[in-house]
Parts: sequence; structure tokens; C-alpha cells
Amino acid sequence: MGEYLQNIWASISSSLVGMSITLKHLLLIRKGNVTLQYPEEKWPRPERNIGFDHKDYNVIRSKLHVDMDDCIGCYKCARACPVDCIKIETIKVPKGTDIGTTSNDTKKRLLVTRFDIDMTECMYCNLCVYPCPEECIFMTGGPNSSKHPIDYEFSEYNREGLMYPFATVTQEEIDRYTDSETPEKPAEKEETA
Amino acid sequence: MGIVHGDEMVLNIGPQHPSTHGVLRLKVHTDGEIVSKITPYIGYLHRCFEKHCENLTYEQVIPFTDRCDYISSMNNNFGYVVTVEELMDIHVSEKVEHIRVIMAELNRIASHLLALGTFGMDVGAFTPFLYMFRDRENILDLFEMTCGARLLYNYMWIGGLSHDLPVGFVEKTYEFLDYFEPKIKENDDLLMYNKIFIERTADVGVLPPEVAISYGVTGPNLRGSGVQWDLRKDEQYSIYDRFDFEIPVGTGQMGTVGDCWDRYWVRTQEMKESIGIVRQALKQLPTEGDVQELVPKKIRPPKGSIYKRTESPRGDLGFYIISDGKPTPVRVKLRSPAFTALSALSAIAEGWMISDVIAILGSLDIVLGEIDR
Repeated sequence: MGEYLQNIWASISSSLVGMSITLKHLLLIRKGNVTLQYPEEKWPRPERNIGFDHKDYNVIRSKLHVDMDDCIGCYKCARACPVDCIKIETIKVPKGTDIGTTSNDTKKRLLVTRFDIDMTECMYCNLCVYPCPEECIFMTGGPNSSKHPIDYEFSEYNREGLMYPFATVTQEEIDRYTDSETPEKPAEKEETA
Repeated sequence: MGIVHGDEMVLNIGPQHPSTHGVLRLKVHTDGEIVSKITPYIGYLHRCFEKHCENLTYEQVIPFTDRCDYISSMNNNFGYVVTVEELMDIHVSEKVEHIRVIMAELNRIASHLLALGTFGMDVGAFTPFLYMFRDRENILDLFEMTCGARLLYNYMWIGGLSHDLPVGFVEKTYEFLDYFEPKIKENDDLLMYNKIFIERTADVGVLPPEVAISYGVTGPNLRGSGVQWDLRKDEQYSIYDRFDFEIPVGTGQMGTVGDCWDRYWVRTQEMKESIGIVRQALKQLPTEGDVQELVPKKIRPPKGSIYKRTESPRGDLGFYIISDGKPTPVRVKLRSPAFTALSALSAIAEGWMISDVIAILGSLDIVLGEIDR
């Protein structure tokens, strides 16, 4: 009989404790413990000093972006990728041809004819960002976020929409360098590590 | 003609079942509501981790270790990099060690919060689940601030870290710890000392210490059975010898030693210990130093093999790596603590009712990503 009453008391008291805790939450609604109306409002992204210095480098994992003006076609990002979602093809230009310099004043020697990133394959590990010597591949929202606003909801209607071709070379340019007298090597073979 | 077991019914729990914490199929033989035989079928989440590792360089394996135990990625990173560093004889700086310990312990808290919340939900308590996820969110925010990712971090590198701590991290972590410490008690009052929860878990699914050891069960499940075994103390790695913390073991407060309630209790106590470790590490954290100064340009460990285990939130997480001096490992084997915990399920859950089997499975805190790899 004693145990029976004890059990009843324990049940009532523990449910009262639970009720009081949940009631406290009900009464003390602050901003922050109510549901966020997602598409209309969003959480602020964690702030961090972003710039090109390696120490305070971009720490956002979102869509990959390549500044093709700065790309020299060195394959370093493609080699670092664990899932091979970066596909690069380049052609050599004849010696003495000026195809521009990067913002780090490196002379470009290769014409990047294909630079595809398949974001359906990407695992967001950020490993491709570090080896880039020209710092031209990065997750959007990082360095120069004014140019490329933070975008983490890059939804598409078709799967093909998530294939991002970054190469800016026109067919004319390719023809110009492949048709010239000097024989061209079609693509630099990827060096096996 | 075969024998017809008229009283017996075979029931499949899963693979798509909310209580199996992933894609696990339990083939359950039932007699009425009493379970007479349980056979777990795994492999629905198999992603060829070990085969992938044979074709990847050592640093490219790290994102794949994230995806094994996706609830505690930092601890997986930690175990892997510690193993490779020992193979390559790298001794990382004080600052890196401290940041790693902070991250691992914060991830342990996050992982235990998820484990306890989902365990509560398995036995029918929904509110604590929401509260615990809300608190876990704060830890994920800290991680996002540090490395940009919320779940799969790829933060620890061989010989260093991917980023230094951001400005304001230390203050925000202190703020979180101050906020979170009273919340543990609140969650305990809400769920752990609730009469209904005690009735559902005390004396249920008792895992005796001998059975636990013979099955190779480790981590909070083993400590819940009263065995004091924690690699942070018993097999030193990193700088855990510098911190002052206790190893909570189950004592059978509400019933028998090694029941579901004890396993729950051990996890709550471990969160408190982790908070203590994070506080101590933050206090000692050196401010100067580059976290990437020791990251090797080319990672080519010498010929040989190594097995090293670390304490993940689920138990002994072991990595066995064979190297032949090339940039890719010959073999990486992962010893998963959740796998051994699941293997003990049939030993402890047979003879209980179906609803108790769900509670026992929840108390073992398995992650299928790590079991199937």
C-alpha cells in the first residue's frame, strides 16, 4: 500500500516538474526560441573577417565559384578534389602569345577550354580552395563577397543546372590557337600523383 | 513439410523506421509481444569507405571519415589525424592540441545531446528532444563560425587545422557553456528523473559487465555497466593527461547496474565532464602560433602500419592504417564502436517486449553511418 501511494506521488510530482519547465518556456518566449519564418527571414551568418590573407580566409561552405580571369589551368584544385567533381581541359598557346595576366601578375600560359564543376558531386570539403596559387577558386560569399553574394540555396529545377561551366573561352579563340601553324597538343595530361 | 510455429511471428522493424536511427533492419521473432530472437541486418548505408581510402591521398580521406559517424565528425577527424601523425612522427603545437580537444569535447556534447534526445523520443518524450536540439544548435553555430560547416567539418588536418579560431570564439564558447550548464539539470528533471521514463528504462535491457566486455562494447555503454574504461585516461592520446575530469560509471541508481537508465545517466554526466574539459582547455589555450606551420607539403608516411584508438562519443574508435610509402594508403580500417554496440543487442534485448527493444536500441546510441561505413 505504501509503495502504491509512493508511486502515485512520484508520477504526479514528476509530471508537475515537467509541466512547470514547459510552462516556463511558454511564458518566457524570447526572440530566438520561436520558429524562424524561414524564407522570409534567415539566420544571420556567422561573421568573420574575410579576405585573401590565409589566416582569415573564407570559411563558408557553399557554391564553388571560379574567377576565370585569374585561372591559369594548373589542375591543382582538380587534383585535390576527393570526388573528382572539377573537370579541366586546357590547350597550350604558341610561345609569345599574350592571353593576359592574373591579378597576382602571373602570366597565363594555358587556355582553359573547359572548367566544369559538378555541384551534385561536390562534398563541400573545401580542399580545392587551399592549393590554388592564384586564389581564384572559392566558395561564394568568401573573398570579394560583394561581387558574389552569399548563396547557399542554389536550387535548380533540373540536375543539369547544378553543372557549372566556368570556362569563358569562345570557339573563335580555340580555333585561332588550334589552327595556327605550330602543332598543338590538345590537352595537358593530368600528372598522376 | 516444415514445422509451423503457430505462435511465432516474424516482424521486420525497418529499414525505414524512425526508431532504428538510420537504415537498419531488425528481424524480430515475436511470441505475442515478447521478442524471442533478434537479428540485425546492416549494410543499407554502406558507402565503401575502406575501398575509397585506397584510392585517395591521406588528406583526402579526412572528409570521408567525417561521413562515417556523421553525428561526431570532429572526433572522427581527431582519431584519424592522430593516427596518421603518429605514423609520420609529427608532434603538433600546443595551440593545435588545445583547439582539437575543445572541438572534440564540444562535439561530444552535441553528439550526446542528440543521443539523449532521440532516446527520449523512442520512449515517447518529444519535448526534451526539441530542447536538446535547440541547445545542440548553439554548438553547431560555434563550429560553423570556426570552419564554415555545420555537420561535416573536415576541420582537423594532418599536422594542424584548416583554420585558426575566429575572433570571438572563446567568448562565445564561454557564453554557451554558461548558458548550457543549467540546461543539463533542466533536461534531467524533464526526462531523466521523470517517473514514466524511469519505469520504461530502469531494469530494462541490462547489459552485465562480462557480456559487455565479451562483445567488445565500449564507450558510454560499457561505462553504464560499471566498467571504468575511458581511453582519454587509460590510453593517453593528445593532451588529455593535463585535464582534470572524472569518468562516470553506472551504479544502478534506479535499478540494476547496466540498464538503459544507467546508460542515459552516464551520458548526462559525461556532458558535464566535457564542459569541465572545455573550460580548462579554453583557460590554457595559447593565443600565439600558426595552426598550419606543421602541415606537411607532401604527406607520405614511412612504410609500416599502425593501429590507434581514440575515445569518440560512442566508444573506442580505432584506425588501422597500412602505408607503403606512397601518397595513398594501402588500407585504412575503421573499428567502429557502434558496430560492437549493435552486436550486443541480441544478447540483451531478447525476452523483452517490442517497445522495450526500441528503448534498448535507443539507449545503445548507434549511428548507422559508422556501422556500415
